[in-house]
Amino acid sequence: MNVVIVGGGIAGVSTAAALRAGGFDGDLTLVDAGEFPYDRPPLSKDYLTGAKDLGRIALQPPQWYDEQAVRLINRTRVTGLRPGGVELQDGTLLPADRVVLATGGGAARPPIPGCERAHVLRTAEDADRLRAVLRPGARVLVVGAGLIGAEVASSAVDLGCEVVLADPVARPLAAAVGAELAAWLHERHAVRGITTVQAGVESFEDGAVLAGGREEFDAVVLGVGMVPETALAEAAGLRVDRRIVVNTGQVTSNPAILAVGDSARSRDGHWEAAQHDGARAAATILGAPPPPPAAPWFWTDRHGRHVEAVGHMAQADRTVLRGSFADPAFSVFGLRDGLVVAAAAVDDPNAVRAARRMIDRRIPADPARLGDPAVNLRTLLRP
Amino acid sequence: MTDGIRVAALDDVPEGEGIAIDKAIIGTEDNVALLRDTDGGLWALNDTCTHEDASLADGWVEDGYVECPLHSSKFCLKNGEVQGLPATRDTCPHRVEVRDGEVYLFPNQTP
Ligand SMILES: Cc1cc2nc3c(=O)[nH]c(=O)nc-3n(C[C@H](O)[C@H](O)[C@H](O)COP(=O)(O)OP(=O)(O)OC[C@H]3O[C@@H](n4cnc5c(N)ncnc54)[C@H](O)[C@@H]3O)c2cc1C
Ligand code: FES
Repeated sequence: MNVVIVGGGIAGVSTAAALRAGGFDGDLTLVDAGEFPYDRPPLSKDYLTGAKDLGRIALQPPQWYDEQAVRLINRTRVTGLRPGGVELQDGTLLPADRVVLATGGGAARPPIPGCERAHVLRTAEDADRLRAVLRPGARVLVVGAGLIGAEVASSAVDLGCEVVLADPVARPLAAAVGAELAAWLHERHAVRGITTVQAGVESFEDGAVLAGGREEFDAVVLGVGMVPETALAEAAGLRVDRRIVVNTGQVTSNPAILAVGDSARSRDGHWEAAQHDGARAAATILGAPPPPPAAPWFWTDRHGRHVEAVGHMAQADRTVLRGSFADPAFSVFGLRDGLVVAAAAVDDPNAVRAARRMIDRRIPADPARLGDPAVNLRTLLRP
Repeated sequence: MTDGIRVAALDDVPEGEGIAIDKAIIGTEDNVALLRDTDGGLWALNDTCTHEDASLADGWVEDGYVECPLHSSKFCLKNGEVQGLPATRDTCPHRVEVRDGEVYLFPNQTP
Protein backbone atom coordinates (compact mmCIF):
# COMPACT_ATOMS: atom_id res chain seq x y z
CA MET A 1 0.00 0.00 0.00
CA ASN A 2 1.02 3.57 -0.81
CA VAL A 3 0.39 6.31 1.76
CA VAL A 4 1.05 9.99 1.07
CA ILE A 5 0.91 12.44 3.96
CA VAL A 6 0.40 16.08 2.98
CA GLY A 7 1.97 18.40 5.56
CA GLY A 8 4.95 17.87 7.86
CA GLY A 9 3.77 19.44 11.09
CA ILE A 10 3.37 17.46 14.29
CA ALA A 11 0.20 15.82 12.93
CA GLY A 12 1.81 14.61 9.69
CA VAL A 13 5.07 13.47 11.28
CA SER A 14 3.17 11.70 14.07
CA THR A 15 1.06 9.87 11.50
CA ALA A 16 4.20 8.65 9.74
CA ALA A 17 5.86 7.61 13.00
CA ALA A 18 2.75 5.80 14.24
CA LEU A 19 2.34 3.97 10.92
CA ARG A 20 5.88 2.59 11.08
CA ALA A 21 5.65 1.86 14.81
CA GLY A 22 2.46 -0.07 14.07
CA GLY A 23 4.21 -2.23 11.48
CA PHE A 24 3.17 -0.48 8.26
CA ASP A 25 5.55 -1.77 5.58
CA GLY A 26 4.16 -0.06 2.49
CA ASP A 27 5.46 3.04 0.71
CA LEU A 28 5.28 6.14 2.86
CA THR A 29 5.80 9.67 1.54
CA LEU A 30 5.63 12.93 3.45
CA VAL A 31 5.28 16.13 1.43
CA ASP A 32 5.89 19.45 3.15
CA ALA A 33 6.02 23.00 1.89
CA GLY A 34 8.67 24.05 4.43
CA GLU A 35 12.45 23.71 4.68
CA PHE A 36 11.98 20.48 6.68
CA PRO A 37 9.40 19.41 9.27
CA TYR A 38 9.94 21.54 12.36
CA ASP A 39 8.09 22.14 15.59
CA ARG A 40 5.90 25.23 15.91
CA PRO A 41 5.64 25.95 19.67
CA PRO A 42 9.23 27.28 19.89
CA LEU A 43 8.45 29.86 17.17
CA SER A 44 6.98 32.17 19.80
CA LYS A 45 9.51 31.17 22.47
CA ASP A 46 13.15 30.06 22.08
CA TYR A 47 13.19 30.44 18.31
CA LEU A 48 11.79 33.96 18.45
CA THR A 49 14.30 35.07 21.06
CA GLY A 50 17.14 33.50 19.06
CA ALA A 51 18.00 30.91 21.72
CA LYS A 52 17.38 28.10 19.19
CA ASP A 53 17.92 27.89 15.45
CA LEU A 54 15.78 26.00 12.95
CA GLY A 55 17.89 22.83 13.13
CA ARG A 56 17.29 22.65 16.88
CA ILE A 57 13.53 22.63 16.44
CA ALA A 58 13.39 19.92 13.76
CA LEU A 59 10.61 17.47 14.60
CA GLN A 60 12.91 14.58 13.71
CA PRO A 61 16.66 14.40 13.08
CA PRO A 62 17.48 14.21 9.33
CA GLN A 63 18.51 10.54 9.46
CA TRP A 64 15.14 9.54 10.92
CA TYR A 65 13.46 9.69 7.51
CA ASP A 66 15.93 7.16 6.07
CA GLU A 67 15.81 4.96 9.14
CA GLN A 68 12.02 4.85 9.02
CA ALA A 69 11.89 4.58 5.22
CA VAL A 70 9.85 7.74 4.98
CA ARG A 71 10.37 9.54 1.68
CA LEU A 72 10.48 13.24 2.57
CA ILE A 73 9.68 15.69 -0.22
CA ASN A 74 10.30 19.10 1.30
CA ARG A 75 9.95 22.64 -0.08
CA THR A 76 7.11 21.31 -2.20
CA ARG A 77 3.40 21.98 -2.14
CA VAL A 78 0.69 19.52 -2.99
CA THR A 79 -1.55 21.36 -5.43
CA GLY A 80 -4.39 18.91 -5.87
CA LEU A 81 -5.90 15.59 -4.87
CA ARG A 82 -6.48 13.39 -7.89
CA PRO A 83 -8.08 9.97 -8.21
CA GLY A 84 -5.32 7.54 -7.22
CA GLY A 85 -2.83 10.13 -6.00
CA VAL A 86 -1.78 13.68 -5.26
CA GLU A 87 -0.40 16.29 -7.61
CA LEU A 88 2.75 18.22 -6.69
CA GLN A 89 3.43 21.82 -7.67
CA ASP A 90 5.68 20.74 -10.56
CA GLY A 91 2.88 18.63 -11.98
CA THR A 92 4.22 15.26 -10.78
CA LEU A 93 1.51 12.81 -9.78
CA LEU A 94 2.39 10.79 -6.68
CA PRO A 95 0.36 7.58 -6.54
CA ALA A 96 -1.46 7.00 -3.27
CA ASP A 97 -3.91 4.42 -2.02
CA ARG A 98 -4.51 6.52 1.07
CA VAL A 99 -3.89 10.26 1.50
CA VAL A 100 -3.57 11.89 4.91
CA LEU A 101 -4.20 15.64 4.93
CA ALA A 102 -2.11 17.26 7.67
CA THR A 103 -2.07 20.76 6.29
CA GLY A 104 -2.47 22.67 9.56
CA GLY A 105 -3.54 26.26 9.27
CA GLY A 106 -2.50 29.82 8.79
CA ALA A 107 -2.62 32.76 11.16
CA ALA A 108 -5.92 34.63 11.09
CA ARG A 109 -6.01 38.21 9.80
CA PRO A 110 -9.18 40.03 10.79
CA PRO A 111 -10.75 42.34 8.19
CA ILE A 112 -9.38 45.56 9.67
CA PRO A 113 -7.93 48.33 7.45
CA GLY A 114 -4.15 47.99 7.11
CA CYS A 115 -4.14 44.52 8.69
CA GLU A 116 -2.15 42.97 5.85
CA ARG A 117 0.97 44.87 6.99
CA ALA A 118 0.91 43.39 10.50
CA HIS A 119 3.13 40.47 11.52
CA VAL A 120 1.64 37.06 12.15
CA LEU A 121 3.34 33.96 13.53
CA ARG A 122 2.83 30.53 12.08
CA THR A 123 6.02 29.68 10.19
CA ALA A 124 9.75 30.06 10.76
CA GLU A 125 9.79 32.76 8.06
CA ASP A 126 7.14 34.68 10.01
CA ALA A 127 9.30 34.38 13.13
CA ASP A 128 12.43 35.50 11.26
CA ARG A 129 10.67 38.62 9.98
CA LEU A 130 9.33 39.41 13.41
CA ARG A 131 12.63 38.80 15.18
CA ALA A 132 14.31 41.30 12.85
CA VAL A 133 12.14 44.08 14.27
CA LEU A 134 12.09 43.01 17.93
CA ARG A 135 15.14 45.12 18.76
CA PRO A 136 15.79 46.65 22.16
CA GLY A 137 13.67 49.77 22.55
CA ALA A 138 11.31 48.91 19.68
CA ARG A 139 7.66 49.77 20.35
CA VAL A 140 5.59 46.71 19.67
CA LEU A 141 1.83 46.30 19.65
CA VAL A 142 0.63 42.74 20.17
CA VAL A 143 -3.01 42.24 19.26
CA GLY A 144 -4.65 39.31 21.04
CA ALA A 145 -3.61 38.16 24.51
CA GLY A 146 -4.38 34.47 24.08
CA LEU A 147 -1.67 31.81 23.98
CA ILE A 148 0.47 33.05 21.11
CA GLY A 149 -0.04 36.78 21.73
CA ALA A 150 0.97 36.40 25.37
CA GLU A 151 4.06 34.38 24.44
CA VAL A 152 5.12 36.92 21.81
CA ALA A 153 4.62 39.75 24.30
CA SER A 154 6.75 37.89 26.85
CA SER A 155 9.52 37.13 24.32
CA ALA A 156 9.47 40.76 23.10
CA VAL A 157 9.99 42.02 26.66
CA ASP A 158 12.85 39.53 27.03
CA LEU A 159 14.38 41.12 23.93
CA GLY A 160 14.10 44.61 25.45
CA CYS A 161 11.08 45.88 23.53
CA GLU A 162 8.45 48.22 24.86
CA VAL A 163 5.24 46.23 24.55
CA VAL A 164 1.56 47.12 24.40
CA LEU A 165 -0.80 44.14 24.53
CA ALA A 166 -4.37 44.70 23.39
CA ASP A 167 -7.35 42.38 23.74
CA PRO A 168 -11.02 43.23 24.06
CA VAL A 169 -11.45 40.42 26.59
CA ALA A 170 -10.70 41.19 30.24
CA ARG A 171 -9.45 37.71 31.10
CA PRO A 172 -8.13 35.95 28.01
CA LEU A 173 -7.93 32.12 28.33
CA ALA A 174 -10.68 32.02 30.97
CA ALA A 175 -12.43 29.15 29.17
CA ALA A 176 -9.25 27.06 29.22
CA VAL A 177 -7.85 27.74 32.69
CA GLY A 178 -10.77 29.24 34.63
CA ALA A 179 -11.52 32.91 35.35
CA GLU A 180 -9.32 33.31 38.43
CA LEU A 181 -6.15 31.84 36.95
CA ALA A 182 -6.79 33.67 33.68
CA ALA A 183 -6.94 36.97 35.56
CA TRP A 184 -3.75 36.14 37.46
CA LEU A 185 -1.93 35.17 34.28
CA HIS A 186 -3.03 38.33 32.50
CA GLU A 187 -1.82 40.47 35.42
CA ARG A 188 1.71 39.04 34.97
CA HIS A 189 2.06 41.15 31.82
CA ALA A 190 1.83 44.40 33.75
CA VAL A 191 4.27 43.07 36.34
CA ARG A 192 6.79 42.66 33.49
CA GLY A 193 6.20 46.26 32.36
CA ILE A 194 3.82 45.51 29.50
CA THR A 195 0.97 47.95 28.99
CA THR A 196 -2.25 45.97 28.69
CA VAL A 197 -5.19 47.59 26.96
CA GLN A 198 -8.67 46.11 27.07
CA ALA A 199 -9.76 47.07 23.58
CA GLY A 200 -9.81 45.87 20.02
CA VAL A 201 -7.89 47.60 17.25
CA GLU A 202 -10.05 49.57 14.82
CA SER A 203 -7.46 50.30 12.16
CA PHE A 204 -3.79 49.70 11.36
CA GLU A 205 -3.51 52.62 8.94
CA ASP A 206 -0.80 55.16 9.93
CA GLY A 207 -0.07 53.46 13.24
CA ALA A 208 -2.86 51.74 15.12
CA VAL A 209 -6.16 53.09 16.30
CA LEU A 210 -6.65 51.70 19.75
CA ALA A 211 -9.57 52.61 22.00
CA GLY A 212 -10.16 55.80 20.04
CA GLY A 213 -6.54 57.08 20.01
CA ARG A 214 -3.96 56.70 17.23
CA GLU A 215 -0.52 55.44 18.27
CA GLU A 216 2.73 54.74 16.43
CA PHE A 217 4.46 51.34 16.69
CA ASP A 218 7.60 49.87 15.16
CA ALA A 219 5.80 46.58 14.74
CA VAL A 220 2.33 45.19 15.09
CA VAL A 221 1.84 41.47 15.74
CA LEU A 222 -1.48 39.68 15.39
CA GLY A 223 -2.19 36.71 17.63
CA VAL A 224 -5.89 36.38 16.99
CA GLY A 225 -6.34 32.77 16.03
CA MET A 226 -5.83 30.23 13.31
CA VAL A 227 -7.55 29.57 9.98
CA PRO A 228 -7.53 25.86 9.08
CA GLU A 229 -5.92 25.11 5.70
CA THR A 230 -8.71 23.35 3.86
CA ALA A 231 -8.21 24.43 0.23
CA LEU A 232 -7.12 20.99 -1.04
CA ALA A 233 -10.00 19.31 0.76
CA GLU A 234 -12.55 21.76 -0.58
CA ALA A 235 -11.25 21.49 -4.13
CA ALA A 236 -11.52 17.70 -3.84
CA GLY A 237 -15.15 18.02 -2.73
CA LEU A 238 -14.59 16.75 0.81
CA ARG A 239 -16.98 17.88 3.52
CA VAL A 240 -15.57 20.95 5.19
CA ASP A 241 -17.22 22.84 8.01
CA ARG A 242 -14.54 25.43 8.80
CA ARG A 243 -12.28 22.39 9.33
CA ILE A 244 -12.15 19.17 7.36
CA VAL A 245 -14.94 16.99 8.71
CA VAL A 246 -13.67 13.61 9.95
CA ASN A 247 -15.04 10.64 11.90
CA THR A 248 -13.43 9.24 15.06
CA GLY A 249 -10.93 7.34 12.88
CA GLN A 250 -9.91 10.63 11.15
CA VAL A 251 -11.56 9.52 7.88
CA THR A 252 -13.04 12.32 5.75
CA SER A 253 -16.15 12.09 3.59
CA ASN A 254 -13.96 10.23 1.07
CA PRO A 255 -12.88 6.86 2.56
CA ALA A 256 -9.46 7.01 0.85
CA ILE A 257 -8.62 10.36 2.45
CA LEU A 258 -7.94 11.02 6.12
CA ALA A 259 -7.30 14.33 7.82
CA VAL A 260 -5.42 15.12 11.04
CA GLY A 261 -4.30 18.05 13.18
CA ASP A 262 -5.26 21.70 13.06
CA SER A 263 -6.88 21.39 9.62
CA ALA A 264 -9.20 18.66 10.83
CA ARG A 265 -10.16 18.81 14.45
CA SER A 266 -13.65 19.82 15.44
CA ARG A 267 -12.57 21.66 18.59
CA ASP A 268 -9.74 24.12 18.93
CA GLY A 269 -6.83 21.86 19.62
CA HIS A 270 -3.18 22.10 20.36
CA TRP A 271 0.06 20.29 19.76
CA GLU A 272 -0.78 17.05 21.55
CA ALA A 273 -4.23 16.78 19.99
CA ALA A 274 -2.57 16.88 16.56
CA GLN A 275 -0.20 14.10 17.68
CA HIS A 276 -3.12 11.98 18.89
CA ASP A 277 -4.93 12.53 15.58
CA GLY A 278 -1.88 11.09 13.84
CA ALA A 279 -1.94 7.99 16.05
CA ARG A 280 -5.65 7.49 15.32
CA ALA A 281 -5.19 7.93 11.57
CA ALA A 282 -2.39 5.37 11.59
CA ALA A 283 -4.57 2.91 13.51
CA THR A 284 -7.33 3.36 10.95
CA ILE A 285 -4.97 2.69 8.03
CA LEU A 286 -3.52 -0.35 9.81
CA GLY A 287 -6.94 -1.67 10.76
CA ALA A 288 -5.77 -1.63 14.38
CA PRO A 289 -7.87 -0.61 17.40
CA PRO A 290 -7.70 3.16 17.96
CA PRO A 291 -5.73 4.43 20.97
CA PRO A 292 -8.03 5.26 23.90
CA PRO A 293 -9.36 8.83 24.01
CA ALA A 294 -7.48 11.21 26.29
CA ALA A 295 -8.39 14.54 27.84
CA PRO A 296 -7.02 17.47 25.80
CA TRP A 297 -3.79 18.98 27.12
CA PHE A 298 -1.64 21.97 26.30
CA TRP A 299 1.23 23.92 27.75
CA THR A 300 2.33 27.49 27.29
CA ASP A 301 5.30 29.47 28.62
CA ARG A 302 5.29 33.16 29.44
CA HIS A 303 7.35 35.40 31.68
CA GLY A 304 9.42 32.47 32.85
CA ARG A 305 6.39 30.53 34.08
CA HIS A 306 5.34 27.16 32.67
CA VAL A 307 1.59 26.80 32.41
CA GLU A 308 -0.28 23.58 31.60
CA ALA A 309 -3.95 22.76 31.33
CA VAL A 310 -5.87 19.54 30.80
CA GLY A 311 -9.55 18.74 30.27
CA HIS A 312 -12.42 21.18 29.91
CA MET A 313 -12.46 23.86 32.60
CA ALA A 314 -15.67 25.31 31.16
CA GLN A 315 -17.47 22.07 32.16
CA ALA A 316 -16.57 22.44 35.85
CA ASP A 317 -19.24 23.39 38.36
CA ARG A 318 -16.67 24.11 41.09
CA THR A 319 -12.95 24.71 41.31
CA VAL A 320 -10.43 23.75 43.97
CA LEU A 321 -7.22 25.72 44.40
CA ARG A 322 -4.17 23.72 45.46
CA GLY A 323 -1.66 26.09 47.01
CA SER A 324 -2.02 29.81 46.54
CA PHE A 325 -1.50 32.27 43.70
CA ALA A 326 1.42 33.67 45.68
CA ASP A 327 3.24 30.31 45.72
CA PRO A 328 6.03 29.52 43.26
CA ALA A 329 3.89 26.61 42.03
CA PHE A 330 0.17 26.04 42.31
CA SER A 331 -2.74 24.45 40.50
CA VAL A 332 -6.49 24.69 40.05
CA PHE A 333 -8.75 21.68 39.63
CA GLY A 334 -12.16 21.84 37.99
CA LEU A 335 -14.74 19.33 39.23
CA ARG A 336 -18.17 18.32 38.11
CA ASP A 337 -20.37 15.89 40.04
CA GLY A 338 -17.40 14.82 42.15
CA LEU A 339 -15.17 14.00 39.20
CA VAL A 340 -12.17 15.98 38.06
CA VAL A 341 -12.91 17.35 34.58
CA ALA A 342 -10.02 19.80 34.23
CA ALA A 343 -6.90 21.20 35.83
CA ALA A 344 -4.54 24.06 35.16
CA ALA A 345 -1.20 24.64 36.82
CA VAL A 346 1.62 27.14 37.01
CA ASP A 347 5.03 25.50 37.39
CA ASP A 348 3.27 22.44 38.84
CA PRO A 349 3.20 20.05 35.89
CA ASN A 350 2.73 16.89 37.91
CA ALA A 351 -0.58 18.21 39.27
CA VAL A 352 -1.76 18.23 35.67
CA ARG A 353 -0.31 14.76 35.08
CA ALA A 354 -2.23 13.49 38.09
CA ALA A 355 -5.41 15.27 36.96
CA ARG A 356 -5.10 13.87 33.48
CA ARG A 357 -5.12 10.34 34.88
CA MET A 358 -8.05 11.14 37.17
CA ILE A 359 -10.01 12.42 34.16
CA ASP A 360 -9.08 9.61 31.79
CA ARG A 361 -9.67 6.90 34.41
CA ARG A 362 -12.71 8.63 35.94
CA ILE A 363 -11.27 8.38 39.45
CA PRO A 364 -13.46 10.30 41.95
CA ALA A 365 -11.50 12.82 43.99
CA ASP A 366 -12.05 14.27 47.46
CA PRO A 367 -11.91 18.08 47.03
CA ALA A 368 -10.37 18.61 50.47
CA ARG A 369 -7.46 16.30 49.67
CA LEU A 370 -7.08 17.68 46.16
CA GLY A 371 -6.73 21.17 47.58
CA ASP A 372 -4.21 20.21 50.26
CA PRO A 373 -0.65 20.66 48.97
CA ALA A 374 0.55 18.33 51.73
CA VAL A 375 -1.33 15.41 50.14
CA ASN A 376 0.65 13.59 47.47
CA LEU A 377 -1.62 13.54 44.43
CA ARG A 378 -0.34 10.12 43.46
CA THR A 379 -2.11 8.66 46.48
CA LEU A 380 -5.42 9.95 45.04
CA LEU A 381 -4.93 7.77 41.98
CA ARG A 382 -4.84 4.58 43.99
CA PRO A 383 -8.10 2.76 44.56
CA MET B 1 34.76 -3.51 38.48
CA THR B 2 34.10 -1.31 41.49
CA ASP B 3 31.26 -1.75 43.95
CA GLY B 4 29.51 1.32 42.64
CA ILE B 5 29.00 4.66 44.31
CA ARG B 6 26.55 4.95 47.18
CA VAL B 7 24.27 7.81 46.14
CA ALA B 8 21.16 7.61 48.31
CA ALA B 9 19.12 5.53 50.68
CA LEU B 10 16.28 3.69 48.94
CA ASP B 11 13.79 5.50 51.18
CA ASP B 12 14.99 8.83 49.77
CA VAL B 13 13.19 8.01 46.51
CA PRO B 14 9.40 7.88 46.87
CA GLU B 15 7.47 5.49 44.67
CA GLY B 16 6.47 7.11 41.37
CA GLU B 17 9.02 9.89 41.79
CA GLY B 18 12.65 10.67 41.28
CA ILE B 19 15.58 12.49 42.80
CA ALA B 20 18.52 14.07 40.99
CA ILE B 21 22.10 13.10 41.87
CA ASP B 22 24.64 15.84 41.23
CA LYS B 23 27.11 15.00 38.48
CA ALA B 24 29.94 16.44 40.60
CA ILE B 25 29.43 13.63 43.13
CA ILE B 26 29.47 10.80 40.63
CA GLY B 27 31.67 12.20 37.88
CA THR B 28 29.13 11.83 35.08
CA GLU B 29 28.54 14.24 32.20
CA ASP B 30 25.02 15.01 33.32
CA ASN B 31 23.21 14.78 36.62
CA VAL B 32 21.57 11.41 37.08
CA ALA B 33 17.87 10.92 37.84
CA LEU B 34 17.17 8.07 40.25
CA LEU B 35 13.62 7.01 39.47
CA ARG B 36 11.37 4.68 41.42
CA ASP B 37 8.70 2.94 39.40
CA THR B 38 5.18 2.22 40.62
CA ASP B 39 6.12 -1.44 41.12
CA GLY B 40 9.02 -0.39 43.32
CA GLY B 41 11.80 -0.93 40.76
CA LEU B 42 14.65 1.57 40.89
CA TRP B 43 16.29 2.98 37.75
CA ALA B 44 18.79 5.64 36.75
CA LEU B 45 18.83 7.81 33.63
CA ASN B 46 20.62 10.98 32.60
CA ASP B 47 18.63 13.71 34.28
CA THR B 48 18.29 16.30 31.51
CA CYS B 49 15.52 15.62 29.01
CA THR B 50 16.95 15.30 25.51
CA HIS B 51 14.34 17.74 24.19
CA GLU B 52 14.95 20.87 26.26
CA ASP B 53 16.44 21.18 29.71
CA ALA B 54 13.78 19.76 32.04
CA SER B 55 14.92 17.52 34.88
CA LEU B 56 13.55 14.00 34.50
CA ALA B 57 13.88 13.60 38.27
CA ASP B 58 10.89 15.97 38.44
CA GLY B 59 8.93 13.79 36.02
CA TRP B 60 6.04 11.44 36.52
CA VAL B 61 7.20 7.82 36.89
CA GLU B 62 4.73 5.07 36.05
CA ASP B 63 4.59 1.67 34.38
CA GLY B 64 8.20 1.50 33.23
CA TYR B 65 8.42 5.09 31.94
CA VAL B 66 9.26 8.55 33.17
CA GLU B 67 7.22 11.34 31.63
CA CYS B 68 9.02 14.64 31.19
CA PRO B 69 7.50 17.45 33.27
CA LEU B 70 7.67 20.00 30.45
CA HIS B 71 6.25 18.47 27.28
CA SER B 72 5.44 14.89 28.29
CA SER B 73 7.93 12.90 26.20
CA LYS B 74 8.30 9.47 27.78
CA PHE B 75 11.58 7.63 28.40
CA CYS B 76 11.86 3.91 29.11
CA LEU B 77 13.32 3.40 32.58
CA LYS B 78 15.22 0.25 31.56
CA ASN B 79 17.07 1.50 28.51
CA GLY B 80 16.43 5.22 28.17
CA GLU B 81 14.62 4.84 24.86
CA VAL B 82 12.40 7.77 24.00
CA GLN B 83 8.80 7.06 23.16
CA GLY B 84 6.90 9.99 21.78
CA LEU B 85 7.75 13.47 20.52
CA PRO B 86 8.82 16.21 21.08
CA ALA B 87 12.05 14.57 22.33
CA THR B 88 13.71 12.52 19.57
CA ARG B 89 16.91 11.29 21.18
CA ASP B 90 17.21 8.43 23.68
CA THR B 91 18.76 9.17 27.03
CA CYS B 92 21.55 7.28 28.76
CA PRO B 93 20.66 4.63 31.35
CA HIS B 94 22.98 3.77 34.26
CA ARG B 95 23.14 0.61 36.32
CA VAL B 96 21.89 0.84 39.91
CA GLU B 97 21.91 -1.71 42.67
CA VAL B 98 20.13 -1.67 45.99
CA ARG B 99 21.98 -3.33 48.87
CA ASP B 100 20.64 -3.21 52.43
CA GLY B 101 18.42 -0.27 51.61
CA GLU B 102 21.30 1.72 50.10
CA VAL B 103 21.43 2.71 46.43
CA TYR B 104 24.68 2.18 44.52
CA LEU B 105 25.18 3.72 41.10
CA PHE B 106 27.51 2.38 38.39
CA PRO B 107 27.89 5.41 36.11
CA ASN B 108 27.74 4.69 32.37
CA GLN B 109 27.28 0.94 32.84
CA THR B 110 24.21 -0.46 31.14
CA PRO B 111 21.66 -1.92 33.53
C1 LIG C 1 3.78 30.15 17.31
C2 LIG C 1 3.02 28.97 17.82
C3 LIG C 1 3.20 28.55 19.14
C4 LIG C 1 2.49 27.45 19.64
N1 LIG C 1 2.70 27.08 20.94
C5 LIG C 1 2.03 26.00 21.42
C6 LIG C 1 2.26 25.56 22.76
O1 LIG C 1 3.04 26.14 23.52
N2 LIG C 1 1.58 24.47 23.20
C7 LIG C 1 0.69 23.79 22.41
O2 LIG C 1 0.09 22.83 22.90
N3 LIG C 1 0.47 24.17 21.14
C8 LIG C 1 1.12 25.26 20.62
N4 LIG C 1 0.89 25.66 19.33
C9 LIG C 1 -0.10 24.91 18.50
C10 LIG C 1 0.55 23.78 17.76
O3 LIG C 1 1.81 24.12 17.29
C11 LIG C 1 -0.38 23.35 16.63
O4 LIG C 1 -1.58 22.87 17.19
C12 LIG C 1 0.28 22.27 15.77
O5 LIG C 1 1.40 22.80 15.13
C13 LIG C 1 -0.69 21.71 14.75
O6 LIG C 1 0.01 20.78 13.98
P1 LIG C 1 -0.42 20.39 12.51
O7 LIG C 1 0.55 19.35 12.08
O8 LIG C 1 -1.86 20.10 12.45
O9 LIG C 1 -0.26 21.70 11.61
P2 LIG C 1 1.05 22.65 11.25
O10 LIG C 1 1.96 22.63 12.40
O11 LIG C 1 0.42 23.89 10.81
O12 LIG C 1 1.68 21.87 10.04
C14 LIG C 1 1.11 21.86 8.76
C15 LIG C 1 2.19 21.67 7.74
O13 LIG C 1 1.60 21.42 6.48
C16 LIG C 1 2.31 22.11 5.47
N5 LIG C 1 1.38 22.30 4.35
C17 LIG C 1 0.19 22.94 4.34
N6 LIG C 1 -0.37 22.86 3.13
C18 LIG C 1 0.47 22.14 2.36
C19 LIG C 1 0.44 21.70 1.00
N7 LIG C 1 -0.59 21.98 0.20
N8 LIG C 1 1.48 20.99 0.54
C20 LIG C 1 2.52 20.68 1.34
N9 LIG C 1 2.59 21.05 2.64
C21 LIG C 1 1.58 21.77 3.13
C22 LIG C 1 2.74 23.39 6.15
O14 LIG C 1 3.85 23.95 5.49
C23 LIG C 1 3.08 22.88 7.55
O15 LIG C 1 4.44 22.50 7.65
C24 LIG C 1 1.58 26.76 18.80
C25 LIG C 1 1.39 27.18 17.47
C26 LIG C 1 2.10 28.27 16.98
C27 LIG C 1 1.89 28.70 15.56
S1 FES D 1 11.88 19.19 27.82
FE1 FES D 1 11.29 17.14 27.97
S2 FES D 1 9.80 16.88 26.47
FE2 FES D 1 10.37 18.96 26.28
